[in-house]
Amino acid sequence: MKRFWIPLIGLALFFLEPVFGMFSPLTIGGDYYYVVPRFLIMFLIFVSIFHNTKRAMLYGLFFGLLYDVFFIDIIGLYSFLYPALCVAAGYIVKNIERNLIVATIIALTLTVVFEFVLYQFFALIGLTSISIGTFLNMRLLPSMIANSLFLIVLGWAFRSVIVRRTFEQNKSLTLSRFYNQ
Amino acid sequence: MFHFFSNKRLILLLLGVILLVALISFSLRDRDNVSAPEQMIKDVVGAGQMVFSVPAQFITGMFDNIDSLLNTYEENKYLKSRLEEFASVQAEVTDLRSENTELKTLVDKEADLRSYNPIQAQVVARNPDQWEEKMIINKGTDDGVSENMAVMTAQGLIGKVTLTTPNTATVELISTQNPNYRVSAMVIGGKKNVFGLIEGYDVERRELLLKRIDADIKLEKGQQVTSSGLGGIFPKGIVIGEITEITIDEFGLTQLVYVKPAADFTLLNHVVIADRVLPEVDGEDNGVIKDDES
Repeated sequence: MKRFWIPLIGLALFFLEPVFGMFSPLTIGGDYYYVVPRFLIMFLIFVSIFHNTKRAMLYGLFFGLLYDVFFIDIIGLYSFLYPALCVAAGYIVKNIERNLIVATIIALTLTVVFEFVLYQFFALIGLTSISIGTFLNMRLLPSMIANSLFLIVLGWAFRSVIVRRTFEQNKSLTLSRFYNQ
Repeated sequence: MFHFFSNKRLILLLLGVILLVALISFSLRDRDNVSAPEQMIKDVVGAGQMVFSVPAQFITGMFDNIDSLLNTYEENKYLKSRLEEFASVQAEVTDLRSENTELKTLVDKEADLRSYNPIQAQVVARNPDQWEEKMIINKGTDDGVSENMAVMTAQGLIGKVTLTTPNTATVELISTQNPNYRVSAMVIGGKKNVFGLIEGYDVERRELLLKRIDADIKLEKGQQVTSSGLGGIFPKGIVIGEITEITIDEFGLTQLVYVKPAADFTLLNHVVIADRVLPEVDGEDNGVIKDDES
């Protein structure tokens, strides 16, 4: 059962994103703000940092493919970007200490990069025509505020689940080596 | 850095990028058709999504109820003032309706563009990244939903069905930026109904653009815009919105009218799909238009 915790949390976050997406756009004082939940990719970046980059890539590929087919009907967009961000996260933390603050900063920075790449892509294929200023004010800023709140509240829980899983895995690895000898 | 890009990895990376570009361009080309595996994934994910969105909608519904409970007094006062007016309007409507059916039987006309079979559906998910205005509903071809049907709420038109699978359907809202998205509409309330096309959406003003109306025709602010039924698939008379501003388009030949949508596109829960009674034909509603402008 313990080994299924990470994919199960991933699945729950995948299904929760559109539920939170239904509240968007928010109207505050006559202005509209789009809040885009990015819970899953932030969780996968945490998995990549604290557990295993390759595993995170696989999850990213799987959930990215689901996202592509179910929501946007362009196969290859999320299923490329999710694993790519996991690789980037794994590469960045190679030589620095892995703690909660570092992981949170990396996850949020990569989410900003992610939003930006998506904006460029959708502008390129002509599905959006909003200016960069509108994008920053109406979409990026409110989304990042919501996502950082989410990560600040739940980041430590993610970390403890992932670290416990890594610990279990290492223990069983050591044990199996011990028995094999 | 050099170790990271060893030969084998570089080749894999290149192959990956080529595959990616091929996949993206392939799926961009025919986004209107869903292959069998895609349909299966959509149905399975849709069923899973229901598990999460039904309780969420129940909770938001509860908050809405509390909210309306708090406003009861104000609302009641307003409604009472409208009640007397309502009685006379009601009498007029029944009178006109009976007259209309009488006249129809007189000329042997059974179904008209207005009649449709409503299909009730629930919104399962809204595209969370919101680059496209799309949502997914829990009725599909098994329930008689097919592509290009009109989707509306009690307030008015909200969009049309773009993709269908056996148990789900994707709805593209009229607030989309898609240039191929057209709805044939008419302005009512004048001496004659004026026909035009809803084409495009102004994101900053959050209003629809009604185009292709002759420059000579006089329109007024506040007139209602409904679907005309002449696009081939939508029924006639679904409320779209209200005129807020009338200008001349960039070529100076036709009028460009801003229409404030009657329906609210946020927090959509229940929608109705209009299955028109009269046979459907190609037209603006499904984007298949014969080139007859020459």
